[in-house]
Amino acid sequence: MREPPLLELRGISKTFPGVKALDDVSFSVYPGEVHMLLGENGAGKSTLMKVLCGAYKADLGQFFHHGKQVQIDSTAAARELGIAVIFQEFSLVPYLNVAQNIFLGREPSGYLPGTIDLKRMHVQARRILDQLGLSLDTHTLVHSLGVAQQQMVEIAKALSQKARILVMDEPTAALSDRECERLFSTIRQLQADGVAIIYISHRMAEVFSMGDRITVLRDGRRMASLMTGDATPDQLVQLMVGRSVDMSYARNFCAEPGELLLDVRNMSASNGVHGVSLKVRVGEIVGLAGLVGSGRTEVARAIFGADRVTAGEIWVCATRFAGGPEQAREAGMALIPEGRKTQGVALTRTVSENLGLASLPKTFPNHLFDPRKARQIAQALIQRLRIATPSPERNVQVLSGGNQQKVVIGKWLQAGSRLFIFDEPTRGVDVGAKAEIFALLDRLVAQGASVLMISSELSEIVHVCDRSYVMKDGTIVGHLQRAELTEERVMHLAVGQGSI
Amino acid sequence: MSYDANLMKARLGNLMGPAFYRVLAAAALCVALALVNDAFLSTNNLLNVLRQASLLFLLASGLTLVILTGGLDLSVGANVGLSACVAGTVMQSTGSIGLGIVSGLLCGTAVGLVNAALVTVLRLPPFIATYGMLWALHGVTYAYMAGATVHGFPPAFRTLGSGYLLGVPVPIYLMTILLGVGTFLAQRTTFGQEIYAIGTNPEVARLSGVPVRRRLFFAYAASGVMAGLASLVYLARLNSAEGDIGEGLTLPAIAAVLVGGASLFGGSGTLAGTLIGALILTLVLNGMNLLTIHANWQPLVTGVVLIAAVLIDNIASRRTESRA
Amino acid sequence: MNDTQVARPLMRLITHVPGVTWVLLMLILVFSSLSGNFLRAGNLANIGEQSVVLLLLALPMTFVIMTEGIDMSMGAVLSLTSVVLASTLVATGSIALALSAAVLIGLAFGVFNGGLASWLKLPPFIVTLGTMGVAQGLALVATDGDSIIVGTQLTRLYTTQFLFLSLPMWLAILSYGAFHVLLQRTRFGTYVCAIGGNRDALTLAGVSAGTYHVAVYALSGAMAGMAALVLTARLSAGHPSAGIGMEFDAIAATIVGGTSFERGKGWLLGTLLGVVAVGVLRNGLNLLNVQSAVQVSCIGLLVIAALLFDGLKDRA
Repeated sequence: MREPPLLELRGISKTFPGVKALDDVSFSVYPGEVHMLLGENGAGKSTLMKVLCGAYKADLGQFFHHGKQVQIDSTAAARELGIAVIFQEFSLVPYLNVAQNIFLGREPSGYLPGTIDLKRMHVQARRILDQLGLSLDTHTLVHSLGVAQQQMVEIAKALSQKARILVMDEPTAALSDRECERLFSTIRQLQADGVAIIYISHRMAEVFSMGDRITVLRDGRRMASLMTGDATPDQLVQLMVGRSVDMSYARNFCAEPGELLLDVRNMSASNGVHGVSLKVRVGEIVGLAGLVGSGRTEVARAIFGADRVTAGEIWVCATRFAGGPEQAREAGMALIPEGRKTQGVALTRTVSENLGLASLPKTFPNHLFDPRKARQIAQALIQRLRIATPSPERNVQVLSGGNQQKVVIGKWLQAGSRLFIFDEPTRGVDVGAKAEIFALLDRLVAQGASVLMISSELSEIVHVCDRSYVMKDGTIVGHLQRAELTEERVMHLAVGQGSI
Repeated sequence: MSYDANLMKARLGNLMGPAFYRVLAAAALCVALALVNDAFLSTNNLLNVLRQASLLFLLASGLTLVILTGGLDLSVGANVGLSACVAGTVMQSTGSIGLGIVSGLLCGTAVGLVNAALVTVLRLPPFIATYGMLWALHGVTYAYMAGATVHGFPPAFRTLGSGYLLGVPVPIYLMTILLGVGTFLAQRTTFGQEIYAIGTNPEVARLSGVPVRRRLFFAYAASGVMAGLASLVYLARLNSAEGDIGEGLTLPAIAAVLVGGASLFGGSGTLAGTLIGALILTLVLNGMNLLTIHANWQPLVTGVVLIAAVLIDNIASRRTESRA
Repeated sequence: MNDTQVARPLMRLITHVPGVTWVLLMLILVFSSLSGNFLRAGNLANIGEQSVVLLLLALPMTFVIMTEGIDMSMGAVLSLTSVVLASTLVATGSIALALSAAVLIGLAFGVFNGGLASWLKLPPFIVTLGTMGVAQGLALVATDGDSIIVGTQLTRLYTTQFLFLSLPMWLAILSYGAFHVLLQRTRFGTYVCAIGGNRDALTLAGVSAGTYHVAVYALSGAMAGMAALVLTARLSAGHPSAGIGMEFDAIAATIVGGTSFERGKGWLLGTLLGVVAVGVLRNGLNLLNVQSAVQVSCIGLLVIAALLFDGLKDRA
């Protein structure tokens, strides 16, 4: 490729309070190429996407369009440069038709001001859809379309904006094999027209079949950009995960696990997971690894009763479990959810109130609430967990992420749970609190509890868990014992290396 | 600082918070009214104001519980109307005060149960479900009364609304009892803790094992029971009941709760606050009476007060958000 | 042919044909069998005339509900604008001036409602509940509860016929047409749908969603002013309580017609059918000597049934 790149990023950095999401990222994109963007969760891919479409403004660095320096500081600016981003949650209006969605905000004007020239809009929409080889009726309402077709409408929308650079985020995540094929042929067509495509994906198969070049991000930094022909899957996995282990935490692994605490047999749930079987014994920290969207949170919610189980059985302490969160609590389960601020703590309630929320019937069996007793219990938990708060009567809102997490843990400790299901226990938690939380998990299982831990940080899975299951596409694809638990093996299973 | 000192500071902080300003507003109103018209400070008038406020408070108390959970019960006024009519007609036809009271309470409870079922079992959005019930109840009341009026109830019953006990109007005793019991429920029972949690974040409550739907069911049913109770006191006070008795009660009830500081989104508010809200609203209306402003102005003023309260709350919560 | 083979096309018919058509058919069947007078031409014409005001209110209400909002103040604003219209007419003798005054007042309330709901993000129902009190109060205060008689000044609206239809009927037809065009062929209509369906998508597309949001409520207020003309003509007076409860009928007609509170789903033809259904229900119950207040209960039950049916359909 001799012409200047269509778009070049030089030294792009973006910092959020406490974390450097993008650190000196540079790469370029040429017309007609499919440029694969790879990286773990948290590697910086979604931040990069938001920067590219103008939703975020880069703190440092420059953009070059056809060799000329440009600014991308608004969504309008990005649109003008011909950049269009297709996020995983589509920006479509359900009860408008295909043509209306394609031209939202840019409808062709009719005779009178404010009117739309419907005929022209549909003709133009038809033209774009024909270009994409779609026979979709432009009058169809978008809500009645399947995911694959909605995606096509998003692509049509981008094309109607004369996009020359299309950024697609995990486009095949929700598609069937046949729909994937359709998407790929569309992409090849766009390539032939000179459109550049930045394609974010984890699936090795499509990375190698569709990609021209590959850029790997890790911890916000660009690790390498390679031609697809020069790369091997192992190499890519190495680039994605290989990191110096700065885990100062050393765990006493469980030599002899105790009784069977959780036994999930071939479970399927309304949230999409299917055929899940796993076991957790007393004294173990069992990991549940996998990529975003692989179904880990769904498994946790289904076990806890937050989502409906449609098939299979869940056994807790040798008793068959069925029901919702209230019954789960009675059975000794605890769920520490991923969305701390939305599902873990009630932000505008006090630390003390949050700490007592899961144990009200247990602490006050006669239904009479004693604020003094509640305060004493809260104080004890605050000391035990070293929760940094000015007072138990302050709103949980003012606490740091790590301390909020401790409040959620404390809530379940007070409830006397035996099985703790953690969903991303250290997300948004600073290093010091991370170590504390791991030490806490260690103590918990040593004292007769079990932990099922979902984590997207492979180093956590490898260094904290006794063993780990790996999920992909809504079901469990692997189970690694202590001896074989390495980041590479986990990643291989998570991305489907085994299927190649 | 020692733990207790911290606690005191936090408590005082709450004291200087919005509730304080509301009490201040009520006090200011009293002073203003006293200056405007000597009649305001007469014992008769003051007792009257308290009586009116108590009536409004009785009505708004069950509504407060529902609003605390983040929901709404628009049918409250119509419930009072229907229950009052039922109680009145039963009392008149059977001559028994006891039967009248029981039937009024049963009617209110029944309506509350229907609301509860619509919201928690059929999962209809609370405001449209109770709004539909509002009109349905109005119609039922009209049909039931068929244009007739019942009046002239036994004096023993009338004391409930118009009577005095030791020189103090009876409704005030009811109000005090209700305030005490209600506040006890809210602050000193696990039920109260759960209700506040549900109002703050129903998903967090659910995931913590709180039986959210059961509690919501109870809240709507309780709102109905309280409406039944309020209807008895209204009936006693008005000494008559006809088809349109319930009209125009819902707006002041909601206004009292919101002026009292409860948030429409749930999770914050107290019965004491609702009492102050009822008091403020009653003072405003009383002032209008003293100034011989026509009763036609009342819905207007209530509407303005309602909007003002919601606006002020909105602005205030933005301020605290930016401070936190 | 076994049961499933018959059931499936039947199910398809039931779910695809909008519920409101079944409701309307059923109501017509019930009332024509219960009352001999129902199907008379004069009676049917009556239903039409009496539905005009409701249609003028339900059309903008459909838009408001499509944006996931609600306008509880419509009935009260109708009362107020009716009073304003009547007094302006009595004072100036000019229908044009009176109508303008009514529409302007309605517009003002609409902008206020929209401003608080859209810019300050206050819950629409509470805002409009407050405005309802304000408007109703103003109407009562301005008239002391009495009507303002306009005598025969507005009867020409009904006596002048054009193609066998009265002027108010034409107003209804034209309004329906205008709203249809608004929804299908203007940006405003598209954005109304988008505000309820995916407001973020609209903002991402660079559209000032807030302004359109306010405009929806403004339109609602203005239409109340228009409806006041017909109402005042029908009553030959402006009465401060004339509009009480009409917002409920308008909401009922819209919901029964298939517009839902979520995701921007709206159907103007459905609202029209809903208006007719409400009109048929009221008329039929009138013929059976059922009190007005009880009629409202029936409408309430209809709304609940419509909501449940909607919920069942979604789950199917």
